[in-house]
Amino acid sequence: MRPLVPPGPEALARVRALAERVLGEQEFREALAIPLGEDEVAESRSLIRWFRRRYPTPGERLAYARRAYRRWAAALPQPPHPLASDSTTRSRS
Amino acid sequence: MAEDRPSGLGSWGRGGREPRVYNDGVRGSDFDEVEFFRAVAESGARALLIGRRALVVLGIPVLTGDYDFWLHIDDLASFNAAVEPLGLLPTHTPEEARARGRYAVENDEHVDVLVARSVPTVDGLRVAFDEVWPRRQTLEVAPGVGIALPALDDLILTKRFGGRPKDLEDIRLLEALRSEDR
Repeated sequence: MRPLVPPGPEALARVRALAERVLGEQEFREALAIPLGEDEVAESRSLIRWFRRRYPTPGERLAYARRAYRRWAAALPQPPHPLASDSTTRSRS
Repeated sequence: MAEDRPSGLGSWGRGGREPRVYNDGVRGSDFDEVEFFRAVAESGARALLIGRRALVVLGIPVLTGDYDFWLHIDDLASFNAAVEPLGLLPTHTPEEARARGRYAVENDEHVDVLVARSVPTVDGLRVAFDEVWPRRQTLEVAPGVGIALPALDDLILTKRFGGRPKDLEDIRLLEALRSEDR
């Protein structure tokens, strides 16, 4: 098995730009209208069940999220840029 | 978070934004998340945890580095005062924050705060804080420390504020959660 080569800064920037792109109203409506597939629901529910079983309390889940974020950030070739954060409150302008 | 972000804000300069004067004195800190939530809860501020951290609290394992709150516009001062002892300082004055509808409190941590009375979704629905707040759910994140979240349907609506692909993903996960809890 080949060792994992982390993506370079340019590739990360492209991925972030895609993830941070704001969809237009029509595109958003259309995407929302696509029903969840049975497999997708089953996979998501399985993930949720695992997470809740492993971390039964909200406090444990929050602690896990902080550990997971630290691991993720440590594996990046450069620290995550704040503009790539997942804020719900960011301006759409 | 102290382990993840360089101390100070220099290399994180929020590229392209205007220089911030209001929080010039921000320094790194060891962040105690429980104390943070306790401070918010005990402040009496009407503050709803939204964003991906709320998904985590409910039981959805998603990656997130920030905190997002939707705060009643009249409770901005009490919220700021509550988190200031933890080293979290506002990026804008209260007047500026109210005018622009959002600001952040931060040190090594970053907490985005919405302070709008209502926020439009990307598909044109207007969501009012005063309607969402009475429907909130409160979950205990540590003994005696509760945190307020929007009801599930309202949390899904807040995910329509952003209109990004990852918001769509989160909506699908929240819908899966709803079907799991049904």
